[in-house]
Amino acid sequence: MSIVNLLGNWSDFRQQHPSDEHKHLEYKWAMSIDLDACTGCNACSVACYAENNLPVVGKEKFSHGHSHHWMRIERYWDNDGREFADQGAQFLPMLCQQCESAPCETVCPVGATNHTADGLNSQNYHRCVGSRYCNANCPYKVRYFNWYDYPTTENVWPEPMRQQLNPDATVRGKGVMEKCTFCLQRLRAAQSTARTEGRSVRDGEVQTACQQVCPTGAITFGNLVDPEAKVGKQWMQQQVELNKDKQVKDTAEHASKLRGYRVLEELRTYPSVMYLEQLRESAI
Amino acid sequence: MYHFLRLSVLFIGLFAASCGYAANATPPLTTSDDLGPKVEQPIEFPHDRHAGDAAKGGMQINCMYCHTYARRSAVAGIPPLQKCIGCHQSIESVRETPRIKKLFEYWEAKKAVPWKKVHDLPDFVRFNHERHIQRFIFKQGKPVQEACGYCHGDVKTMTVARRQKPLSMGWCVSCHQKDHPVDAASTKTTHGPNDCWQCHK
Repeated sequence: MSIVNLLGNWSDFRQQHPSDEHKHLEYKWAMSIDLDACTGCNACSVACYAENNLPVVGKEKFSHGHSHHWMRIERYWDNDGREFADQGAQFLPMLCQQCESAPCETVCPVGATNHTADGLNSQNYHRCVGSRYCNANCPYKVRYFNWYDYPTTENVWPEPMRQQLNPDATVRGKGVMEKCTFCLQRLRAAQSTARTEGRSVRDGEVQTACQQVCPTGAITFGNLVDPEAKVGKQWMQQQVELNKDKQVKDTAEHASKLRGYRVLEELRTYPSVMYLEQLRESAI
Repeated sequence: MYHFLRLSVLFIGLFAASCGYAANATPPLTTSDDLGPKVEQPIEFPHDRHAGDAAKGGMQINCMYCHTYARRSAVAGIPPLQKCIGCHQSIESVRETPRIKKLFEYWEAKKAVPWKKVHDLPDFVRFNHERHIQRFIFKQGKPVQEACGYCHGDVKTMTVARRQKPLSMGWCVSCHQKDHPVDAASTKTTHGPNDCWQCHK
């Protein structure tokens, strides 16, 4: 990429802030996760390991924080002074929020992480030099660093198991950062099919691996630009707007009973993942 | 005295450099920019005989007749042996030539021909044949051999195909930066996608 092109199209590569001037034209991939439906079964996490060639690092490395779960289930305990929580743990599947104004993008010294036209936060493993600034600056802690060369020296996939690797996703080597891609390989395949047929990707035509396996259907994924998409309808119903760092419904006089929220929205990251709050007994 | 010596060395160096530049300045007329290694195929397949111009004894068969997956899938794939036999079982004139005999040996042994890959991209790159063919051949109406030749060179003049272009990222981007017409009729132009995740996976 020439310097002229980079400077000429600067806003395409480093999107500062979502606004009406910089609209998403055809695609804006987004997700919503219903925490009331989530049972914390970890199926999404397992599916992600299978789909994206994530190495299983083992107990010891996991305890050092070297795990590679792009999709992880966080547990929160609401004990309220009692010994045990009434309802057990509350679960929150945490994945890359594909922020519109991502803190990781601005700190990368080599421009390995950028914003794509369809609203994804791209990570280019082959440009990454492993400075790990992005991880330090990510408020969600969803970037994972390859501390070891898992495919070769660690031999995570010994010979017959190599057959399980997904050829549409890279196997990462040592010293690069990686993160959730919203199952990029599936998006690109669906986009290509749609393009040949001269249309946009239909709602439900493409599913992420985590969405596909969720037994309770807690995860909805789709194109926010598409007015027919279920995910867009959910966002609208919950009055969560992509381009706001503080939702209008939260500033209203009477707190609304809508459950939709985005994690750490006030940091102005403009995440693309909306969560639907779990209904608690106290709230009913 | 040494100053003279240094100066003469400098001049000789400059002269050599300018000669080298002049040699590079005129690009060769052939389409090969960066020849790849010669690949030994199990059968020396004559592309020139199949796809070449009729004046030079070629059959002018469309590239997409054999490489049929290129227009509808990301990977072009290898034509199956059935495709070869489909025609060659009724072409008696060349039946007894050494290459065709070998072809029928594979057919009778019910084994695929172990063709070797010539245009190999790194595993972290996603190149989609379908997108390029749809764009250049079906939308813009370019001749098939020209469109395929952007990346594969002038295959109709070769026997066994050999890599002609660097197939490096800079080379891909040099074309993606250019403005291409959207279709044959329109004057509207657009350039290829430029974000990393279009090609890198």
